[in-house]
Amino acid sequence: MSGHISPVSLYITIFASLMVLTGVTVGAAYVDLGMFNFSVAMLIAGFKASLVVWYFMHVKYQSHLTKLTVATGLFFLAILLGMSLIDYVSRDNFAGTGPGGLPAPVTPEGQMHAPAQAPH
Amino acid sequence: MSKAVAHADHGHADAQHAHHPALQHHFDTMAQQKEAAVIGMWVFLLTEILFFGGLFVAYMIYRVWYFDAFAEASRSLDLFWGGLNTAVLIFSSLTMALAVRAAQTNKRKATVNWLILTMILGCVFLGVKVVEYADKFEHHHVPGPNYVWAEPGHEAAPGSEHANLSLTPAQLQNTTQIYFSLYFTMTGLHALHMIIGVGLMLVITWMAWKGKFDAEYYTPVEMSGLYWHFVDIVWIFLFPLLYLVERP
Repeated sequence: MSGHISPVSLYITIFASLMVLTGVTVGAAYVDLGMFNFSVAMLIAGFKASLVVWYFMHVKYQSHLTKLTVATGLFFLAILLGMSLIDYVSRDNFAGTGPGGLPAPVTPEGQMHAPAQAPH
Repeated sequence: MSKAVAHADHGHADAQHAHHPALQHHFDTMAQQKEAAVIGMWVFLLTEILFFGGLFVAYMIYRVWYFDAFAEASRSLDLFWGGLNTAVLIFSSLTMALAVRAAQTNKRKATVNWLILTMILGCVFLGVKVVEYADKFEHHHVPGPNYVWAEPGHEAAPGSEHANLSLTPAQLQNTTQIYFSLYFTMTGLHALHMIIGVGLMLVITWMAWKGKFDAEYYTPVEMSGLYWHFVDIVWIFLFPLLYLVERP
């Protein structure tokens, strides 16, 4: 019982894809997509992580129980990120509210790109 | 159940059921033993995912609060070193996968060589990190009493060409420090995992050299591989989050 043995060519292909996607991430960061820059970066990172998990970490060839274990982790990570952010994002004027409900030292979202208040 | 008991009682005496020396007595087969190890390792990695997850949540919240400061501070990181390290780490994941494959196919020397190459790449990553950290210390970008984002009257503020921001220098002084606190915590914790990974691999390489693994039993190689790939995945997220907040 030695488990599934992937061909070397598969590993090379995954490696090349990861490298290309790294280049795409850097390139995309220089294109102004507004609020979508972050989503694009995270989508690419998520896809790269999936390639690593599926092929390099051999989850593709593991039992359903192992796959379920991996999925459980992602589920709890989604709860951690999702629930925390739902709390913060649902507050009034999130971007302008500092810790402890005090006004943040940053002006609200709408004025983020207003002219500098002091010579910089 | 009764089959398992019978197996355990007579296994060693029965030539037809000759055990692999690495098979522990509480497992029926090598496959069962390996699956137990794989699931156990993944459960450990899940705790690691949530461990880093807490830091990612902190990062997300502060990033939304102080986006301009994060963008400014992020631009002060050198994209060359970050990109190089990403490539190095992805390459080390390839060599790690090939080390596991060599173990699966009974190639002792190739296993040792791929593991050594993986360790070297891990050390290259850490070396680049040392260069980057040293640069941060030099520029007083390490959070604490000596933190200086930009000296007054000094137009050396990193990324000052993008400076039509809503932030005063005093605000930047405070809020970029939050970015660098997260930067050092996240990359520092990641680097600690890398150091542990290299240490782990030293042991595995020694075991491989001693001929402890074969096509039937290479679980320790595969487990350290899972750990190494996990550390790679953390960096795959850290790179865009820390280096690419908002590039010009």
